[in-house]
Amino acid sequence: MGIEAILIINKSGGLIYHRSFDVSKTNPTGTTSKHSLNSNDLLILASTLHSVFVISSQITPKALQLSQSNLNYTIPYHPYVGVKNPEKSPRNSIPNKYGSFKGDDYFKEPFHSWNKSGLKQLSTDQFTMYIYQTMTGLKFVAISSTVLPSHNDSETNMMNNSGININNNSSKNINALQYNLGSQIADNLLRKVYCIYSDYVMKDPFYSLEMPIKSDLFDDKVKSLIDNLL
Amino acid sequence: MSKSRSSSLSTHAANLSSKTGANQSKFFKTFGDDIWKNKIEKVNAELFIMTYGVIVQQLCQDFNNDYMKINENLFSMGYNIGVRLIEDFLARTALPRCPNMIMTSEVITKVAFKVFLNITPVVDNWSSNKDTFSLILVENPLAEFVDLPHDAKKQLWYSNIICGVLKGALEMVQLDCDIGFVSDVLRGDASTEIRVKLNKILKDEIPLGED
Repeated sequence: MGIEAILIINKSGGLIYHRSFDVSKTNPTGTTSKHSLNSNDLLILASTLHSVFVISSQITPKALQLSQSNLNYTIPYHPYVGVKNPEKSPRNSIPNKYGSFKGDDYFKEPFHSWNKSGLKQLSTDQFTMYIYQTMTGLKFVAISSTVLPSHNDSETNMMNNSGININNNSSKNINALQYNLGSQIADNLLRKVYCIYSDYVMKDPFYSLEMPIKSDLFDDKVKSLIDNLL
Repeated sequence: MSKSRSSSLSTHAANLSSKTGANQSKFFKTFGDDIWKNKIEKVNAELFIMTYGVIVQQLCQDFNNDYMKINENLFSMGYNIGVRLIEDFLARTALPRCPNMIMTSEVITKVAFKVFLNITPVVDNWSSNKDTFSLILVENPLAEFVDLPHDAKKQLWYSNIICGVLKGALEMVQLDCDIGFVSDVLRGDASTEIRVKLNKILKDEIPLGED
Protein backbone atom coordinates (compact mmCIF):
# COMPACT_ATOMS: atom_id res chain seq x y z
CA MET A 1 0.00 0.00 0.00
CA GLY A 2 1.67 3.19 -1.15
CA ILE A 3 0.59 6.19 0.88
CA GLU A 4 0.50 9.37 -1.16
CA ALA A 5 -0.55 11.78 1.54
CA ILE A 6 -1.51 12.10 5.18
CA LEU A 7 -3.94 14.80 6.31
CA ILE A 8 -5.14 15.78 9.75
CA ILE A 9 -8.41 17.68 10.10
CA ASN A 10 -9.38 19.30 13.41
CA LYS A 11 -12.81 19.01 14.96
CA SER A 12 -14.12 22.13 13.24
CA GLY A 13 -13.10 20.95 9.78
CA GLY A 14 -9.88 22.90 9.40
CA LEU A 15 -6.83 21.30 7.85
CA ILE A 16 -4.03 21.32 10.43
CA TYR A 17 -1.55 19.02 8.76
CA HIS A 18 -0.80 17.87 5.29
CA ARG A 19 2.09 15.93 3.91
CA SER A 20 2.64 14.30 0.54
CA PHE A 21 4.99 11.42 0.05
CA ASP A 22 7.03 10.41 -2.92
CA VAL A 23 5.34 7.41 -4.44
CA SER A 24 7.58 7.14 -7.48
CA LYS A 25 8.98 3.91 -6.00
CA THR A 26 5.63 2.24 -6.33
CA ASN A 27 4.94 3.80 -9.69
CA PRO A 28 7.17 2.00 -12.21
CA THR A 29 6.15 4.14 -15.16
CA GLY A 30 7.94 7.05 -13.52
CA THR A 31 5.20 9.51 -14.32
CA THR A 32 4.91 12.22 -11.75
CA SER A 33 1.44 12.96 -10.50
CA LYS A 34 -0.18 15.95 -12.16
CA HIS A 35 -2.81 16.48 -9.53
CA SER A 36 -0.72 18.41 -7.05
CA LEU A 37 -2.93 20.76 -5.08
CA ASN A 38 -2.06 24.15 -3.71
CA SER A 39 -2.65 24.98 -0.09
CA ASN A 40 -5.98 26.65 -0.76
CA ASP A 41 -7.28 23.60 -2.64
CA LEU A 42 -6.23 21.46 0.28
CA LEU A 43 -8.15 23.59 2.76
CA ILE A 44 -11.26 23.30 0.60
CA LEU A 45 -10.72 19.57 0.24
CA ALA A 46 -10.44 19.19 4.02
CA SER A 47 -13.60 21.11 4.85
CA THR A 48 -15.51 19.38 2.06
CA LEU A 49 -14.40 16.04 3.40
CA HIS A 50 -15.52 17.11 6.85
CA SER A 51 -18.99 17.91 5.52
CA VAL A 52 -19.27 14.78 3.41
CA PHE A 53 -18.32 12.80 6.48
CA VAL A 54 -21.24 14.30 8.40
CA ILE A 55 -23.66 13.88 5.50
CA SER A 56 -22.71 10.25 5.03
CA SER A 57 -23.53 9.56 8.67
CA GLN A 58 -26.98 11.09 8.10
CA ILE A 59 -27.88 9.20 4.93
CA THR A 60 -27.31 5.76 6.37
CA PRO A 61 -30.68 4.07 5.84
CA LYS A 62 -32.84 3.62 8.96
CA ALA A 63 -33.04 -0.11 8.53
CA LEU A 64 -29.28 -0.29 8.52
CA GLN A 65 -28.99 1.85 11.63
CA LEU A 66 -31.32 -0.46 13.49
CA SER A 67 -29.45 -3.57 12.49
CA GLN A 68 -26.17 -1.91 13.40
CA SER A 69 -26.61 -2.29 17.11
CA ASN A 70 -25.11 -5.75 17.09
CA LEU A 71 -22.26 -4.94 14.76
CA ASN A 72 -18.75 -5.35 16.01
CA TYR A 73 -16.58 -2.26 15.74
CA THR A 74 -13.36 -3.92 16.74
CA ILE A 75 -10.49 -3.53 14.33
CA PRO A 76 -8.00 -6.42 14.31
CA TYR A 77 -4.36 -5.69 15.02
CA HIS A 78 -1.99 -6.15 12.11
CA PRO A 79 1.53 -6.66 13.43
CA TYR A 80 4.20 -4.09 12.67
CA VAL A 81 2.35 -1.86 10.22
CA GLY A 82 4.80 0.95 9.55
CA VAL A 83 7.34 -0.14 12.15
CA LYS A 84 10.31 -2.48 11.90
CA ASN A 85 9.61 -6.09 12.69
CA PRO A 86 12.28 -6.97 15.26
CA GLU A 87 12.25 -10.61 14.20
CA LYS A 88 13.24 -9.72 10.66
CA SER A 89 15.88 -7.11 11.42
CA PRO A 90 19.50 -8.11 12.15
CA ARG A 91 20.06 -9.32 15.68
CA ASN A 92 22.62 -6.71 16.65
CA SER A 93 20.60 -3.74 15.48
CA ILE A 94 19.46 -1.28 18.14
CA PRO A 95 15.77 -1.71 18.97
CA ASN A 96 13.64 1.19 17.86
CA LYS A 97 12.08 3.53 20.38
CA TYR A 98 8.61 4.87 19.86
CA GLY A 99 8.39 7.93 22.09
CA SER A 100 6.53 7.23 25.31
CA PHE A 101 5.20 3.99 23.83
CA LYS A 102 7.19 1.12 25.29
CA GLY A 103 8.00 -2.00 23.31
CA ASP A 104 8.56 -2.66 19.62
CA ASP A 105 5.20 -1.40 18.39
CA TYR A 106 2.84 1.42 19.38
CA PHE A 107 0.11 -0.98 20.38
CA LYS A 108 -0.41 -4.70 20.10
CA GLU A 109 -4.07 -5.39 20.52
CA PRO A 110 -7.20 -5.12 18.43
CA PHE A 111 -9.00 -1.86 19.12
CA HIS A 112 -12.35 -0.17 19.06
CA SER A 113 -13.30 2.09 16.17
CA TRP A 114 -14.92 5.41 17.14
CA ASN A 115 -16.07 5.99 13.57
CA LYS A 116 -19.33 4.08 13.50
CA SER A 117 -21.52 5.70 10.92
CA GLY A 118 -19.30 8.23 9.21
CA LEU A 119 -17.40 7.92 5.96
CA LYS A 120 -14.59 5.49 6.38
CA GLN A 121 -13.28 4.70 2.96
CA LEU A 122 -13.57 6.33 -0.42
CA SER A 123 -12.50 4.38 -3.49
CA THR A 124 -11.97 5.85 -6.89
CA ASP A 125 -10.10 4.67 -9.96
CA GLN A 126 -7.29 7.07 -9.04
CA PHE A 127 -6.75 6.49 -5.35
CA THR A 128 -8.31 5.14 -2.18
CA MET A 129 -8.90 7.36 0.83
CA TYR A 130 -9.21 6.15 4.42
CA ILE A 131 -10.54 8.14 7.38
CA TYR A 132 -9.95 7.48 11.08
CA GLN A 133 -11.86 9.68 13.51
CA THR A 134 -11.00 9.98 17.19
CA MET A 135 -13.31 10.50 20.16
CA THR A 136 -12.25 14.14 20.33
CA GLY A 137 -13.38 14.74 16.74
CA LEU A 138 -9.99 14.77 15.07
CA LYS A 139 -9.80 13.13 11.65
CA PHE A 140 -6.75 11.37 10.29
CA VAL A 141 -6.89 10.84 6.54
CA ALA A 142 -4.63 8.65 4.44
CA ILE A 143 -4.65 8.76 0.66
CA SER A 144 -3.35 5.56 -0.83
CA SER A 145 -2.29 5.05 -4.42
CA THR A 146 -3.76 1.56 -4.37
CA VAL A 147 -6.78 1.30 -6.62
CA LEU A 148 -9.27 -1.28 -5.50
CA PRO A 149 -11.01 -3.49 -8.05
CA SER A 150 -14.42 -2.20 -8.99
CA HIS A 151 -17.29 -3.40 -11.08
CA ASN A 152 -17.31 -0.31 -13.21
CA ASP A 153 -14.14 1.67 -13.28
CA SER A 154 -15.76 4.96 -14.02
CA GLU A 155 -17.90 4.68 -10.93
CA THR A 156 -17.05 5.91 -7.49
CA ASN A 157 -17.85 3.55 -4.71
CA MET A 158 -18.53 4.69 -1.21
CA MET A 159 -18.51 2.29 1.59
CA ASN A 160 -19.64 3.01 5.09
CA ASN A 161 -18.36 1.41 8.19
CA SER A 162 -20.81 -1.44 8.31
CA GLY A 163 -19.07 -2.87 5.29
CA ILE A 164 -22.12 -2.46 3.14
CA ASN A 165 -21.74 -0.87 -0.20
CA ILE A 166 -23.93 2.19 -0.45
CA ASN A 167 -24.35 2.03 -4.19
CA ASN A 168 -25.62 -1.46 -3.86
CA ASN A 169 -24.69 -3.13 -7.12
CA SER A 170 -26.03 -6.61 -6.72
CA SER A 171 -23.24 -8.15 -8.76
CA LYS A 172 -20.88 -8.41 -5.77
CA ASN A 173 -18.53 -6.22 -7.65
CA ILE A 174 -16.18 -5.75 -4.79
CA ASN A 175 -13.65 -8.08 -3.52
CA ALA A 176 -14.91 -7.62 0.03
CA LEU A 177 -11.86 -9.19 1.56
CA GLN A 178 -9.51 -6.78 -0.11
CA TYR A 179 -11.66 -3.86 0.97
CA ASN A 180 -11.64 -4.98 4.55
CA LEU A 181 -7.95 -5.73 4.70
CA GLY A 182 -7.01 -2.38 3.21
CA SER A 183 -9.24 -0.51 5.60
CA GLN A 184 -7.97 -2.47 8.61
CA ILE A 185 -4.35 -1.79 7.75
CA ALA A 186 -5.20 1.87 7.18
CA ASP A 187 -6.88 2.06 10.60
CA ASN A 188 -3.83 0.48 12.21
CA LEU A 189 -1.58 2.95 10.43
CA LEU A 190 -3.71 5.97 11.25
CA ARG A 191 -3.99 5.05 14.91
CA LYS A 192 -0.20 5.06 14.94
CA VAL A 193 -0.19 8.53 13.41
CA TYR A 194 -2.56 9.46 16.26
CA CYS A 195 -0.09 7.99 18.77
CA ILE A 196 2.72 10.07 17.25
CA TYR A 197 0.45 13.12 17.27
CA SER A 198 -0.30 12.65 20.96
CA ASP A 199 3.40 12.37 21.72
CA TYR A 200 4.99 15.00 19.50
CA VAL A 201 2.26 17.55 18.88
CA MET A 202 0.19 17.49 22.07
CA LYS A 203 3.30 17.50 24.27
CA ASP A 204 4.95 20.34 22.36
CA PRO A 205 4.58 23.40 24.60
CA PHE A 206 4.88 25.73 21.61
CA TYR A 207 1.94 24.18 19.79
CA SER A 208 -1.39 25.93 20.18
CA LEU A 209 -4.46 23.75 19.92
CA GLU A 210 -6.43 23.59 16.67
CA MET A 211 -3.62 25.37 14.78
CA PRO A 212 -1.51 24.04 11.89
CA ILE A 213 1.19 21.61 12.96
CA LYS A 214 4.73 22.72 12.25
CA SER A 215 6.92 20.24 14.00
CA ASP A 216 10.03 18.65 12.52
CA LEU A 217 9.94 15.84 15.03
CA PHE A 218 6.38 14.97 14.09
CA ASP A 219 7.33 15.15 10.41
CA ASP A 220 10.24 12.78 10.90
CA LYS A 221 8.24 10.25 12.85
CA VAL A 222 5.39 10.20 10.36
CA LYS A 223 7.85 9.85 7.52
CA SER A 224 9.60 6.88 9.10
CA LEU A 225 6.19 5.28 9.68
CA ILE A 226 5.32 5.65 5.99
CA ASP A 227 8.80 4.57 4.87
CA ASN A 228 8.54 1.37 6.86
CA LEU A 229 5.22 0.54 5.31
CA LEU A 230 5.59 -2.33 2.91
CA MET B 1 1.42 -16.38 25.87
CA SER B 2 1.34 -12.64 25.76
CA LYS B 3 -0.46 -12.83 22.47
CA SER B 4 -3.30 -14.90 23.83
CA ARG B 5 -3.63 -12.58 26.79
CA SER B 6 -3.88 -9.46 24.70
CA SER B 7 -6.40 -11.00 22.37
CA SER B 8 -8.56 -12.01 25.31
CA LEU B 9 -8.29 -8.42 26.53
CA SER B 10 -9.68 -7.19 23.27
CA THR B 11 -12.62 -9.54 23.17
CA HIS B 12 -13.43 -8.04 26.52
CA ALA B 13 -13.15 -4.55 25.09
CA ALA B 14 -15.56 -5.39 22.31
CA ASN B 15 -18.25 -6.52 24.72
CA LEU B 16 -17.58 -3.89 27.33
CA SER B 17 -20.95 -2.26 27.32
CA SER B 18 -22.70 -5.57 27.85
CA LYS B 19 -20.65 -6.21 30.94
CA THR B 20 -21.78 -5.22 34.37
CA GLY B 21 -20.41 -4.30 37.74
CA ALA B 22 -17.66 -6.49 39.05
CA ASN B 23 -16.77 -7.97 35.69
CA GLN B 24 -16.26 -4.60 34.09
CA SER B 25 -14.25 -3.29 36.97
CA LYS B 26 -12.01 -6.35 36.85
CA PHE B 27 -11.45 -5.84 33.14
CA PHE B 28 -10.37 -2.23 33.61
CA LYS B 29 -8.01 -3.25 36.37
CA THR B 30 -6.14 -5.77 34.18
CA PHE B 31 -6.31 -3.37 31.25
CA GLY B 32 -4.73 -0.51 33.23
CA ASP B 33 -2.15 -2.75 34.89
CA ASP B 34 -1.10 -4.13 31.52
CA ILE B 35 -0.53 -0.67 30.05
CA TRP B 36 1.37 0.47 33.11
CA LYS B 37 3.61 -2.59 33.07
CA ASN B 38 4.26 -3.12 29.40
CA LYS B 39 3.30 -0.18 27.28
CA ILE B 40 4.42 3.09 28.77
CA GLU B 41 7.80 4.67 29.41
CA LYS B 42 8.30 6.03 32.93
CA VAL B 43 10.19 8.88 34.53
CA ASN B 44 11.83 8.90 37.93
CA ALA B 45 9.20 9.44 40.63
CA GLU B 46 11.38 11.64 42.83
CA LEU B 47 12.21 13.90 39.90
CA PHE B 48 8.51 14.22 39.19
CA ILE B 49 7.60 14.98 42.82
CA MET B 50 10.36 17.57 43.16
CA THR B 51 9.47 19.26 39.89
CA TYR B 52 5.88 19.64 40.99
CA GLY B 53 6.99 20.94 44.37
CA VAL B 54 9.16 23.56 42.70
CA ILE B 55 6.24 24.67 40.53
CA VAL B 56 3.99 25.19 43.54
CA GLN B 57 6.75 26.98 45.41
CA GLN B 58 7.40 29.25 42.45
CA LEU B 59 3.70 30.09 42.28
CA CYS B 60 3.76 30.95 45.99
CA GLN B 61 6.57 33.38 45.31
CA ASP B 62 4.96 34.85 42.20
CA PHE B 63 1.64 35.47 43.92
CA ASN B 64 3.01 36.48 47.33
CA ASN B 65 1.35 33.54 49.04
CA ASP B 66 -2.12 34.46 47.83
CA TYR B 67 -3.34 30.88 48.05
CA MET B 68 -6.66 31.45 46.32
CA LYS B 69 -4.83 32.68 43.25
CA ILE B 70 -2.40 29.79 43.47
CA ASN B 71 -5.26 27.28 43.56
CA GLU B 72 -6.75 28.94 40.51
CA ASN B 73 -3.46 28.88 38.67
CA LEU B 74 -2.75 25.27 39.45
CA PHE B 75 -6.21 24.42 38.19
CA SER B 76 -5.74 26.27 34.92
CA MET B 77 -2.30 24.72 34.41
CA GLY B 78 -3.93 21.35 34.93
CA TYR B 79 -6.74 22.22 32.54
CA ASN B 80 -4.25 22.97 29.79
CA ILE B 81 -2.48 19.69 30.47
CA GLY B 82 -5.77 17.78 30.48
CA VAL B 83 -7.01 18.97 27.09
CA ARG B 84 -3.78 17.64 25.58
CA LEU B 85 -3.24 14.59 27.75
CA ILE B 86 -6.61 13.15 26.75
CA GLU B 87 -5.24 12.55 23.24
CA ASP B 88 -2.39 10.53 24.69
CA PHE B 89 -4.85 8.56 26.79
CA LEU B 90 -7.16 7.84 23.86
CA ALA B 91 -4.34 6.96 21.45
CA ARG B 92 -2.95 4.58 24.04
CA THR B 93 -6.15 2.88 25.14
CA ALA B 94 -8.65 3.37 22.27
CA LEU B 95 -11.45 2.73 24.76
CA PRO B 96 -15.04 3.21 23.58
CA ARG B 97 -17.23 6.01 24.95
CA CYS B 98 -18.61 5.33 28.43
CA PRO B 99 -22.40 4.99 28.53
CA ASN B 100 -22.68 6.26 32.12
CA MET B 101 -20.73 7.94 34.92
CA ILE B 102 -20.21 4.65 36.71
CA MET B 103 -18.10 3.37 33.85
CA THR B 104 -16.43 6.78 33.54
CA SER B 105 -15.37 6.56 37.18
CA GLU B 106 -13.97 3.08 36.59
CA VAL B 107 -11.96 4.24 33.59
CA ILE B 108 -10.64 7.29 35.45
CA THR B 109 -9.48 5.38 38.50
CA LYS B 110 -8.40 2.01 37.14
CA VAL B 111 -6.99 3.10 33.79
CA ALA B 112 -6.20 6.84 33.72
CA PHE B 113 -4.78 7.28 37.25
CA LYS B 114 -3.03 3.94 36.96
CA VAL B 115 -1.40 4.71 33.63
CA PHE B 116 -0.24 8.23 34.43
CA LEU B 117 0.40 8.18 38.18
CA ASN B 118 0.44 4.47 39.09
CA ILE B 119 -2.25 4.91 41.74
CA THR B 120 -5.84 3.71 41.87
CA PRO B 121 -8.13 6.05 43.79
CA VAL B 122 -11.21 4.63 45.48
CA VAL B 123 -14.59 5.68 44.11
CA ASP B 124 -17.10 6.49 46.81
CA ASN B 125 -20.01 8.69 47.94
CA TRP B 126 -22.21 8.31 44.86
CA SER B 127 -25.11 10.71 44.69
CA SER B 128 -28.51 9.10 44.33
CA ASN B 129 -28.85 9.99 40.64
CA LYS B 130 -25.36 8.64 39.90
CA ASP B 131 -23.89 11.80 38.45
CA THR B 132 -21.63 12.85 41.31
CA PHE B 133 -18.92 10.82 42.97
CA SER B 134 -15.79 11.18 45.06
CA LEU B 135 -12.30 10.01 44.28
CA ILE B 136 -10.45 9.14 47.43
CA LEU B 137 -6.72 9.27 46.92
CA VAL B 138 -5.34 6.71 49.32
CA GLU B 139 -1.86 7.68 48.22
CA ASN B 140 -0.94 10.86 46.42
CA PRO B 141 2.45 10.87 44.69
CA LEU B 142 2.35 14.65 44.25
CA ALA B 143 2.15 15.23 47.99
CA GLU B 144 4.98 12.88 48.94
CA PHE B 145 7.59 14.55 51.21
CA VAL B 146 5.35 17.63 51.47
CA ASP B 147 4.62 19.64 54.60
CA LEU B 148 2.53 22.76 54.26
CA PRO B 149 3.37 25.91 56.24
CA HIS B 150 0.77 26.83 58.82
CA ASP B 151 -0.91 29.65 56.87
CA ALA B 152 -1.17 27.52 53.71
CA LYS B 153 -2.95 24.71 55.53
CA LYS B 154 -6.22 26.57 55.60
CA GLN B 155 -6.37 27.64 51.97
CA LEU B 156 -3.99 25.88 49.62
CA TRP B 157 -5.09 22.80 47.70
CA TYR B 158 -1.61 21.56 47.01
CA SER B 159 -2.56 18.98 44.35
CA ASN B 160 -5.19 21.14 42.66
CA ILE B 161 -3.50 20.51 39.30
CA ILE B 162 -5.11 17.04 39.28
CA CYS B 163 -8.59 18.60 39.32
CA GLY B 164 -7.62 20.77 36.37
CA VAL B 165 -6.32 17.81 34.40
CA LEU B 166 -9.55 15.90 35.02
CA LYS B 167 -11.66 18.90 34.06
CA GLY B 168 -9.77 19.46 30.79
CA ALA B 169 -9.66 15.82 29.81
CA LEU B 170 -13.35 15.17 30.52
CA GLU B 171 -14.36 18.30 28.65
CA MET B 172 -12.58 17.05 25.53
CA VAL B 173 -14.70 13.90 25.60
CA GLN B 174 -17.80 16.09 25.93
CA LEU B 175 -18.40 15.68 29.66
CA ASP B 176 -18.83 19.04 31.38
CA CYS B 177 -17.96 18.46 35.03
CA ASP B 178 -17.30 20.43 38.21
CA ILE B 179 -14.24 19.11 39.94
CA GLY B 180 -12.66 20.19 43.19
CA PHE B 181 -10.96 19.05 46.37
CA VAL B 182 -13.08 18.70 49.48
CA SER B 183 -10.38 17.46 51.82
CA ASP B 184 -6.66 16.81 51.82
CA VAL B 185 -4.44 14.96 54.30
CA LEU B 186 -1.89 17.76 53.89
CA ARG B 187 -4.40 20.06 55.57
CA GLY B 188 -4.83 17.65 58.43
CA ASP B 189 -8.00 16.00 57.10
CA ALA B 190 -8.57 12.28 57.45
CA SER B 191 -8.49 11.60 53.72
CA THR B 192 -7.75 13.22 50.37
CA GLU B 193 -10.98 13.52 48.46
CA ILE B 194 -11.81 14.97 45.02
CA ARG B 195 -15.46 15.56 44.18
CA VAL B 196 -16.54 15.07 40.55
CA LYS B 197 -19.96 16.34 39.50
CA LEU B 198 -21.34 15.93 36.00
CA ASN B 199 -23.09 19.11 34.87
CA LYS B 200 -24.15 17.98 31.45
CA ILE B 201 -23.07 15.97 28.47
CA LEU B 202 -22.16 18.35 25.64
CA LYS B 203 -24.28 16.48 23.09
CA ASP B 204 -23.77 19.04 20.33
CA GLU B 205 -20.06 18.53 20.45
CA ILE B 206 -19.99 14.76 20.18
CA PRO B 207 -18.32 14.15 16.82
CA LEU B 208 -20.82 13.03 14.21
CA GLY B 209 -20.29 9.58 12.85
CA GLU B 210 -19.82 8.10 16.26
CA ASP B 211 -23.28 6.61 16.55
